[in-house]
Amino acid sequence: MIRALWANIDYVASVVLFLIGLYAVIAKNNLIKKFMGINIMETAVFALIISVGTVRHGSPPIMGAGARAPFINPLPQALILTGIVVAVSTTALALSLIIRIYRQCGTIEADELRRLE
Amino acid sequence: MDGTTLLPAVVVVPLLGAVLTPIVGRTRARMAGLWALAVACLTAAVGTALVALVALRGPFSYEMGAWAPPWGIELRMDEFGASIAVIGFLEVLTMLFAIKYVEKLLLPVRIPYFYTLMLLNAAGMIGFAVSGDLFNMFVFLEILSLSGYALVAIAGERIAEMAAFKYLALGAVSSLFVLLSVGLLYAVTGTLNIADVAKRLTGTGYALPVAVALAGLVLGFSVKAALFPLHAWLPDAHTIAPSPVSAVLSGLVVKVGVLGTLRVLQIYYAARPQQLPVLNGMLAWLGAISIVMGAFFAIFQEDIKMMLAYSTISNIGYIFMGIGLGSTYGLIGATVHIFNHALIKVTLFLAAGAIIYRTGCRNLTDLRGVGRVMPWTSAVMTVGALSIVGIPPTAGFLCKWYIALGAVQADKLMFAVAVLFGALFILIYYIRMVNAFYFREPTRPEVATATEAPLSMVGPLVVLAAGCLLMGVLGRIPLSFVEPAVLRMLGQ
Amino acid sequence: MKRIAVIAVLVAAFVPLAAAVAQLPTFGEASNPTNTYLVPRYLQKGPEEAGAANVVTDVILNYRGYDTNGEVVVIFTALIAALATLLVRPKQMAATPPGDDAPRSPIVSFVVKAIAPFIAVFTVYLVLHGHLSPGGGFQGGTIFGALIILLSLTLGHKYGLSLLPERSRPWLQAAAVLAFIAVGLLGWALCGAYLAYPSYSQLEWVREGWLIALEIGIGVGGAAIFATVFWTMEAEP
Repeated sequence: MIRALWANIDYVASVVLFLIGLYAVIAKNNLIKKFMGINIMETAVFALIISVGTVRHGSPPIMGAGARAPFINPLPQALILTGIVVAVSTTALALSLIIRIYRQCGTIEADELRRLE
Repeated sequence: MDGTTLLPAVVVVPLLGAVLTPIVGRTRARMAGLWALAVACLTAAVGTALVALVALRGPFSYEMGAWAPPWGIELRMDEFGASIAVIGFLEVLTMLFAIKYVEKLLLPVRIPYFYTLMLLNAAGMIGFAVSGDLFNMFVFLEILSLSGYALVAIAGERIAEMAAFKYLALGAVSSLFVLLSVGLLYAVTGTLNIADVAKRLTGTGYALPVAVALAGLVLGFSVKAALFPLHAWLPDAHTIAPSPVSAVLSGLVVKVGVLGTLRVLQIYYAARPQQLPVLNGMLAWLGAISIVMGAFFAIFQEDIKMMLAYSTISNIGYIFMGIGLGSTYGLIGATVHIFNHALIKVTLFLAAGAIIYRTGCRNLTDLRGVGRVMPWTSAVMTVGALSIVGIPPTAGFLCKWYIALGAVQADKLMFAVAVLFGALFILIYYIRMVNAFYFREPTRPEVATATEAPLSMVGPLVVLAAGCLLMGVLGRIPLSFVEPAVLRMLGQ
Repeated sequence: MKRIAVIAVLVAAFVPLAAAVAQLPTFGEASNPTNTYLVPRYLQKGPEEAGAANVVTDVILNYRGYDTNGEVVVIFTALIAALATLLVRPKQMAATPPGDDAPRSPIVSFVVKAIAPFIAVFTVYLVLHGHLSPGGGFQGGTIFGALIILLSLTLGHKYGLSLLPERSRPWLQAAAVLAFIAVGLLGWALCGAYLAYPSYSQLEWVREGWLIALEIGIGVGGAAIFATVFWTMEAEP
């Protein structure tokens, strides 16, 4: 078990990062910090999927003169490029909402907002 | 020309319509509404043609970019994908209803964006329903979720932004659970195509990662579907949103979570049936708790939209219970309840919207006597209420009956009792509503002087109410339509 | 009390997740299913049948082009969502935001003006060369969007807005989605499937042309969207 964990320590690191993000989402009071937690979780998932496609001593999958095998798996990289754009879009919307909340209520602390509600 | 080449059109038409909406509506907001209505009509027509094709020839696939499936992306149209016709049809009626409604409610500058987001939302749902690829499902899930969050906030009433943020935070976390699980499945199979994942999972090891992926996917999708105890975002979001948006969110968007769950179960029934009993047991219990809790909270709501929102939680419970029972009848009932509940809930929310549009009141005590001044709308509301309780011959009856039969078939009579209890609770709160509407004197001057809603609202409402009655009379057709899909999924 | 509950939730989530990732195929092995199942075809045939030497670009724009089509719709949705939640009156974005007329450091303005052309040329290179080397439409578009934001911060809001004229702005924002739908429908009409590319080996230049059209569309659309989201957030209600 320990050996398996050690061999896949890169994946375990992603899981730890994922849970750090989840902690921020649950425990932080400030809406921007909460959302930063979601950004951390996104990064963790992206890191996991990218590392699934890693090949040791691999080179970038760009063909042409001087390209030599083994190549790194291009599919997860393509997926995560899409994933990053999705994450940016969610961030843009979340920040817009936070700006509106601040303009209307004058605060972005979750407990004060709950009192206002 | 082969009809299957139309499959991408059902996604591309609303997408193209959506990107052009802000340009069309730049000078006159009403143009944006008419444009969106036309696009929705075209989408519904294409969707209906595709469903007819499935009924005639059985499921079919489409190779995006002409790449054979595991390398490229596959679109898959099967009986569960029949929801695209329901989505198209209900979007048309909602758009028609919305034209007058948003002119009164929204800031003029936001109206074209409202229609853009509605079309994007519809395109997201349709794209999700016909996708045959796990990552592609995630992309369309995000399109429909993002547009959904924005639609909740668009009215800016009270603190709509706060409800939207809560929805966004939970929704984003749940999407990440879905993506993480897709990553785990990709790591053990090396593919993303749903059918191919099922094939490559059969007979390989990796029991634990595959089980965790199942848990993560179902967890993520049940947040989107608002299954108890993950429903916290729903009541506020669905109450504060403008009524046409509530109708779409409550009738259609939460169903995407259910549809996603069904897609995941298709993989696992084919490849890992031994991992399902625990999950099914949990889903059945959570479904039963959802039914009772949702109905119980609904009784104590004053706000009619809040009441309808809790009733959605209760009905999602029925669907998940039917899925969790794992028996043929239960699954058939659950699948048809996806469509029927969509129809009924859109009817109810739009009728509530028409009442709010005319009177400006939303509490039951304020709305006393509204049945006399708005006879058509109130009649539609009553038909919707009868349907959702499940009184024969309306739409809700047959699928609930099937879910109860499913409980008997799976030898779990407890759950059949839950179906009955849920119906009783629901009956109580709709009796309260009908009583207030028809048998009490108006207390508010706004209500006493209100007039019937304009034709562009009453028209769609009457069509919807007729649909509720018709689905009750013709209820056997959808049941026998989805039966082959359910049997295929259970491997029988 | 609350903290203990949170930690309990996290531990309860950590144990199955960590155990699951520990059982995944060992990190970095070339024999993992991810590296042996679909990928060999992408690597061996990608440049030839999909049209770009950069295999990541092949996957993004050709093999899984439909995903990217969805992705550009997601950023378009984010733009519309930001506009729909933040705008309250017409011409809001054209008005000068508060603090915009405050005096700026001449050094900053000079440096920005001096490096702006180089950034612009770099983005053009990234967009047009994305199918041959690392880079591509998104990367180029993001940097160009950042350049517009930088210019409107240092040279004034009005100057930034003038880079994207009001009349053409809605078209520029939709450029990415429109480029995808145009290429997709061309493929649908000529090559048999939505987003399909011509497969004859003599038509390599057409494949490359379509890839570049998509990259330019994504770059222009991305830049316009990021700049507009910035202006919307900055605008005074």
